[in-house]
Amino acid sequence: MIRTPLRPLARILEARAKGGNPDLIEKENLRARHEIVRDKARSRAEGRLLMLGLFFVAAFGAIAVRMGHIAAAEPREPVAAATDSIQAQRADILDRNGRILATNLQTYSLYAQPPLMVDPAHAAEELTKIFPDLDGKRLLADLTGPRKFLWIKKKLSPEQMQKVHDIGEPGLLFGPREMRLYPNGRLAAHVLGGTTFGVEGVHSAEVIGTAGVERAFDAFLRDPANEGRPLELSLDLTVQAAAREVLYGGMKLMNAKGAAAVLMDIHTGEVLSMISLPDFDPNNRPGPPVKGLPSDSPIFNRAVQGVYELGSTFKVFAVAQALDLGLVSPSTIIQTKSPLVWGKYRIRDFHDYGNQMSVTDVIVQSSNIGTARIALQIGGARQKAFLASLGLLDPSPVELAEAPYVRPLYPKKWKEISTMTISYGHGLSDSPLHLAAAYATILGDGTLVKPTLLKRKSVEKGPRIVSEKTSATMRSMLREVVTRGTASFGDVPGYAVGGKTGTADKPKENGGGYYDDRVVATFASVFPVNDPRYVLVVTLDEPSTYIAGETRRTAGWTAVPVAAEMIRRIAPLLGLRPEIEPGSELRLTEASVKD
Amino acid sequence: MSYLEYNVTTVPTGLRKLLYFNWGLAILLTAAAGFGFLMLYSVAGGDIDRWAKPQMVRFGIGMAAMLVIAMVPIWFWRNMAGLAYVVALVLLIGVDQFGETGKGAQRWIDLGFLRLQPSEIMKIALVMMLAAYYDWLDIRKVSHPLWVLVPLAIILVPAFLVLRQPDLGTAILLVMGGGIVMFAAGVSLWYFGGVIAAGIALVTTVLASRGTSWQLLKDYQFLRIDTFLDPSSAPQGAGYHITQAKIAMGSGGWTGRGFMQGTQSRLNFLPEKHTDFIFNTLAEEFGFIGGVSLLAVYALIILFCISSALNNKDRFGALVTLGLAGTFFLFFAVNMSMVMGLAPVVGVPLPLVSYGGTAMLILLLGFGIVQSAHVHRPRTRA
Repeated sequence: MIRTPLRPLARILEARAKGGNPDLIEKENLRARHEIVRDKARSRAEGRLLMLGLFFVAAFGAIAVRMGHIAAAEPREPVAAATDSIQAQRADILDRNGRILATNLQTYSLYAQPPLMVDPAHAAEELTKIFPDLDGKRLLADLTGPRKFLWIKKKLSPEQMQKVHDIGEPGLLFGPREMRLYPNGRLAAHVLGGTTFGVEGVHSAEVIGTAGVERAFDAFLRDPANEGRPLELSLDLTVQAAAREVLYGGMKLMNAKGAAAVLMDIHTGEVLSMISLPDFDPNNRPGPPVKGLPSDSPIFNRAVQGVYELGSTFKVFAVAQALDLGLVSPSTIIQTKSPLVWGKYRIRDFHDYGNQMSVTDVIVQSSNIGTARIALQIGGARQKAFLASLGLLDPSPVELAEAPYVRPLYPKKWKEISTMTISYGHGLSDSPLHLAAAYATILGDGTLVKPTLLKRKSVEKGPRIVSEKTSATMRSMLREVVTRGTASFGDVPGYAVGGKTGTADKPKENGGGYYDDRVVATFASVFPVNDPRYVLVVTLDEPSTYIAGETRRTAGWTAVPVAAEMIRRIAPLLGLRPEIEPGSELRLTEASVKD
Repeated sequence: MSYLEYNVTTVPTGLRKLLYFNWGLAILLTAAAGFGFLMLYSVAGGDIDRWAKPQMVRFGIGMAAMLVIAMVPIWFWRNMAGLAYVVALVLLIGVDQFGETGKGAQRWIDLGFLRLQPSEIMKIALVMMLAAYYDWLDIRKVSHPLWVLVPLAIILVPAFLVLRQPDLGTAILLVMGGGIVMFAAGVSLWYFGGVIAAGIALVTTVLASRGTSWQLLKDYQFLRIDTFLDPSSAPQGAGYHITQAKIAMGSGGWTGRGFMQGTQSRLNFLPEKHTDFIFNTLAEEFGFIGGVSLLAVYALIILFCISSALNNKDRFGALVTLGLAGTFFLFFAVNMSMVMGLAPVVGVPLPLVSYGGTAMLILLLGFGIVQSAHVHRPRTRA
């Protein structure tokens, strides 16, 4: 850069020549030089300012463009990350007509996370107001203690949940959970059994079956592959309700401590009704009893778990087998001289029926001696095989969790005396359900009937056990039991009921013989006799009623009237038409026509 | 031209100063603050006492203070620059040693009547200090390495102290604000190029250090970077702010949902809705139009400052005006970028609009100095 000198000699000389002040020249040049510097600085500053301005403009533009971009964005609903369907529920259980026996209810559990709590003291106080059963002091100690998590309530009602929510405590949290609901309460309690929570988490809890079909079909009910397909039972809820009502009344009337009833379709083996009293509410299933006999607990299913000596009801099997083998005919005369002495044993009848009676009368009058003699003709081996073929010596195949563990009781050595006593129902213990299935087999059409709790679509006949003729003969004999025999209280107008009574002394719990004032009274019936449709077994545990001047315990006075009342109530529900014999009304109509 | 060269007679005196006051700038500032009052009233659910009223009172005090500062000759403020810087530095050290902790960071000094945030004061003091430095420095030496190191130290010492609080956002603002003054003062572009290159290298290094034993940033800082790069990665976690803020802006559309109709902010989806994220409330309720209007007001403020600086032959006055305008620009640019997802979330309020005491007061004091420079600019005789 060539600098202009501040005092250029030529100009100074010139100025001096003209008499001017050379200092002015220096000043002028200095100012010029300053101006150059200043202009340079200024132009640079202006350049910098321009750059800054451009930067600002770019930033403004970017912001405005971004703003417009967001403003122009299409509204889009957020898409949930999880698109899986709802967690699989436990399948419902329905009766044969599609009415709900068991379903699920969405409830909430309540838990606390003390570290999140704002005011544990207030929360504890409010919680004890909502749930009076909570121990306030313990709750407060838990909430203020070092615990990070605790359950407060496993199931909440919506009202309770709202109240807890209104406390406004962030440390009190709700977890959804499914609860098994039995809308019909005690009806069918023993069939359904019950459920309990398995693995429990905050967000859900596993529901597992503990008894009855809930346990027997646990895997099916929980299997998501079924896509919520319900389990259809053979039960008929309406019939079940009516039968339970009658049985409950009968049990009270007969002062029995327990009762059981099984109503079975005679051809398919479908159990339409199964009742055991006393019962329980499966929504709040009680635990196993800690004292007393397990068989006295409400959760004990007398119809399946209760193995009793079912007494004279078993005579049907001996007579049916003898008839089928051709050993006897209904009119064959049997020696019934009392007592029948066999070694050290003496067999007696309830009444002395004279020295001899027909096979039909053995059943109708229920002669132990007569039956024992028939059984002797059959022989122990054939008798045992026949009873086994009826399923009376094995656990019942019914689909209840309890059934496989209930073995009928019978002597290990099937001696001749055993053959005799078992023929009239002593020495062999079976459940009412066993009895109902065996009756269905003999009295249906002679083919094997297996009991089931599932609704059957089609009927597949089992192997033949007795001939159809034997079956028909047995039905007419049982009809006579009602019309002129031990079950005369069993007659139901309009419905031809046939059946066999059975009264067995109860064995003492700790061995050593039998009680003489405690019996199990059973009435096993079939109706209508001429076109058999249903088998009904009613069992009363320790009935005792004071009628006509004496205390009555026999089935004819106790189980039979209860069963008769039950048939009277349920037969119309089952769609059976009463058969009224044409009587005077018909003639009246004819007369009125003549007029 | 230093102040000794001022032709004082051309500078207005007494009440005549009011005539030369930059009233346009004052009106723009009031307009920007007006946006704030409106939004604070809205986010409080129509409650004027909650945020809007205290904000108005503070704005009034701030405007009065601005007027007073504007009346004081600029050369007084030039002489005060060093003192202001030293005081702010001492306060920063003080807050480092005895400060109160608020929201996990040590930023406040409690004076009893006022909770003071020294980093706010430093934003003004640093600009003044640098402007005074370049006013003093021979213009031919500005790019001399030795004379570049001095302002670097002036910038980096307070920035380091702020970073220790820790307040990364303010530290970056300090460095960038100082950089703007240095840039305007004419420091060689080579330095800036070098700094940018070094910055890129630093960012690369920092990102590379993640997960190693010599990790340079805190985990939460890395998380913020991640969240910035992909807010949807944590819509419920660290990305919540940004996601909700963008929902608010997007739901506003072009014309907005209407005054007091913003659901995002009024239903508390939007965090910090009355401070850092107030712009989203504006955009939600008044849409793109409302947002651009505020942006326009800010742009005009910057424009007024630049034009004032261009016409100011006083180097200190011009530099301090540019520096403060730059700082102001950085404030709202960073805030807006942040709430729109253009920049990571750093806690920077929207100037004049966000609810907050010291930030608005300090800003108006700064504009007081801008006004003073404007009023007292040297004028060539007509």
